[in-house]
Amino acid sequence: MAAEVVAAITDIELMKASQIGMKAIAGALAVGLTGIGAAIAEMAIGSAAVGATAENKDVFGLVLLLTVIPETIVIFGLVVALLLIF
Amino acid sequence: MLTPEQMSRLLIVASKDRMTPVITELYRHNLFHIEDYVESGAKGYEGFKIGTPLSGATEASGDLVKIRAIQNTFSIRSDDFEVKERQKQSGLQGQIERELPAIEQEVEGLTVKRSKLETKVKEYEQKITELTPFIGIPGDLDLYRGYLRFAVFAGYVAHEISLSVPNEMFVVKGKGKNFIIVVAPVEHRNVVEGALQEAGYQAVPIPDESGDPKERISFYSSKIALFKKEIEEINKKLDEIKVKHASFLVACEELLKIQVAQTEVPLRFATTSEAFVAEGWVPSGSVETIRQGLVKATGGKIYVTELAIGEHDIVPVEYNNPSFSKPSQLLLDTYSRPKYTELDPTIMISIVFPIFFGLILGDVGYGILLLILCLGLRKFVKGEEGRQLLVVLRNASIASIFFGVFYSEFLGFPCPWAYVLPSRHLNIGGEGGHGPNIPGLMMVAIWIGIIHITLGRVLGIVNHARQDHGDHRIKAVLANAGWILVMWGILVMIWSIVQLPYMPDFTTLPPVVMNLNATAIVGALMLVIGALFIARDSGLELVELPTIISHTLSYSRLVAVGLSSVAIAMVVNYIAIGMLIEPQLKNITLVGVIFIILGVIVFLGGHLMNMVLGILGGSLHSIRLHYVEFFTKFYKGGGRKYSPFGLTRRFTEDL
Repeated sequence: MAAEVVAAITDIELMKASQIGMKAIAGALAVGLTGIGAAIAEMAIGSAAVGATAENKDVFGLVLLLTVIPETIVIFGLVVALLLIF
Repeated sequence: MLTPEQMSRLLIVASKDRMTPVITELYRHNLFHIEDYVESGAKGYEGFKIGTPLSGATEASGDLVKIRAIQNTFSIRSDDFEVKERQKQSGLQGQIERELPAIEQEVEGLTVKRSKLETKVKEYEQKITELTPFIGIPGDLDLYRGYLRFAVFAGYVAHEISLSVPNEMFVVKGKGKNFIIVVAPVEHRNVVEGALQEAGYQAVPIPDESGDPKERISFYSSKIALFKKEIEEINKKLDEIKVKHASFLVACEELLKIQVAQTEVPLRFATTSEAFVAEGWVPSGSVETIRQGLVKATGGKIYVTELAIGEHDIVPVEYNNPSFSKPSQLLLDTYSRPKYTELDPTIMISIVFPIFFGLILGDVGYGILLLILCLGLRKFVKGEEGRQLLVVLRNASIASIFFGVFYSEFLGFPCPWAYVLPSRHLNIGGEGGHGPNIPGLMMVAIWIGIIHITLGRVLGIVNHARQDHGDHRIKAVLANAGWILVMWGILVMIWSIVQLPYMPDFTTLPPVVMNLNATAIVGALMLVIGALFIARDSGLELVELPTIISHTLSYSRLVAVGLSSVAIAMVVNYIAIGMLIEPQLKNITLVGVIFIILGVIVFLGGHLMNMVLGILGGSLHSIRLHYVEFFTKFYKGGGRKYSPFGLTRRFTEDL
């Protein structure tokens, strides 16, 4: 009887631990994948932005805005990750 | 303070014979931003023509070109040149006429000679490279040419070849490719060429020389050494001239620059056969000074009046900030200078930027290091912009120290006192205590975002109220108020539904309808009214509503970037001290000492890297929060820079 209870408790503890692990993996995926997505998007915009700034320095403010638009998604990923973990 | 310097439009009319004193006087004040006259037959300007340069313009420009050429040779840049003593203009004028031609001639003679020698050196070096392959082959260079019945091949092949025709062959084996010389009768030329082609033949030209290749090479080498010595001597002479005349040259450049500017400025005036008209902008506070100066300089024979500023006039913009926020103008100029009618947010940047930087890189150790770096670099950075940047960074580093105290961090280690802000100490190496208080940090960052964005929208209301007219003005102002309403409406609704740290808690209020309590309903109403206000101005703007959330959450980067630098610092500490140094200190051995040294290297290198990343991350993310999240709410920019006619003399005196 006692041995069964102990086994059950160990099982529950193991489950809890693996849940924490799964949450951590989910958080990592949320940040990592959104990061990759934003990076791919910013790659194209960023190179075009540098080109445009080289042509005309006045557009710096505008192209900076355009460059950072995809960053929003990383922030959402970060928030999701933090919500998952905490 | 929050607006650019107030400007007045000035009209100056005088007869042409007063032009020189007027120009000199305007130049001396360095306040008059000239509005260029364009011959477009504008109303009131019929029959006016663009003026012609004063006498002496051509000579001055010619001299200036000469001086700049000499300065280029010596790579003297007046911006980087320290002022030793200021020279009097009158004395300098004569000196230019007497000394400049001589200096120019001397410098030109020397540089021409030097470039001739340099060409020779290049030529001989080329010859040496051509001769080098032939070193390994015995025999004079004459032997390679002058045959009627023999063909000579020289070049590189990938592997050795064997020929079926009578021939004489020399091979010098090398790394990957072999140098080969084949001499064969002319009639077998095709056979030899074919065989060489198969071996990947690359022809080498046979040098037009006679004698032993080694001797020739040493002959050319000695010649090159001789030329280099001569070049060295010329450089030494040029250096002497540079030291002797540098301050004279920069002073000359300044004087001639002034002369060129003054003699050519009539090109920007409107003139008739007898009179001229100059229009321009002056800071309103200096109108009287300029007027009195001009009246005095011309003996009262001048007409100066202030014109009304028209609606379509593009007024040049000069910042008007207290001295502590002047360096931050650099950050604003990078984005765009404010328009004349717009609010100038420099003062806000100068206060908020260091705070954001400190929130991100809040570490006493890094703050002190960056402060020392900024103070140390002050001596080496000479340009105006570089100095401004250093001051901005200095302020940021002081903020970093302050926030380091609040976070209780020193190079990633906890300080002996308790933290004021939520903890950022991570649980790395099992010694992090309670671990970081991430929800608390997030809420602090989001509060900052809410306040910053609301401030931006309030400024937007002010800007629209100042700039727009009529119906559009009311709509635009209300739309900005609508954005504030929507944001706070969403917040109130969130507070009514979820309980969050550091935020008001309305969840305990009793539900009224549909399980929603009173505050949730108020929030929803605010959202709807706000959205209506926005839609009244422009329906398309409603698409942007999600940015309320994304922009506010964007401020969480203050935490995220900061935490990453804390994490790196703690990992560096753990690897260097916890893993490498500490275990060895218990029982010191020879291998242990190596580990300790390795630990010190990891510690220094890791923190250096983290500091560089921290400065980059801290400043880029703080400035981005300004440019993207803050400025988009109210700021457009695109103002014209105020550049007055004149120059702050550094090397000369107007005597």
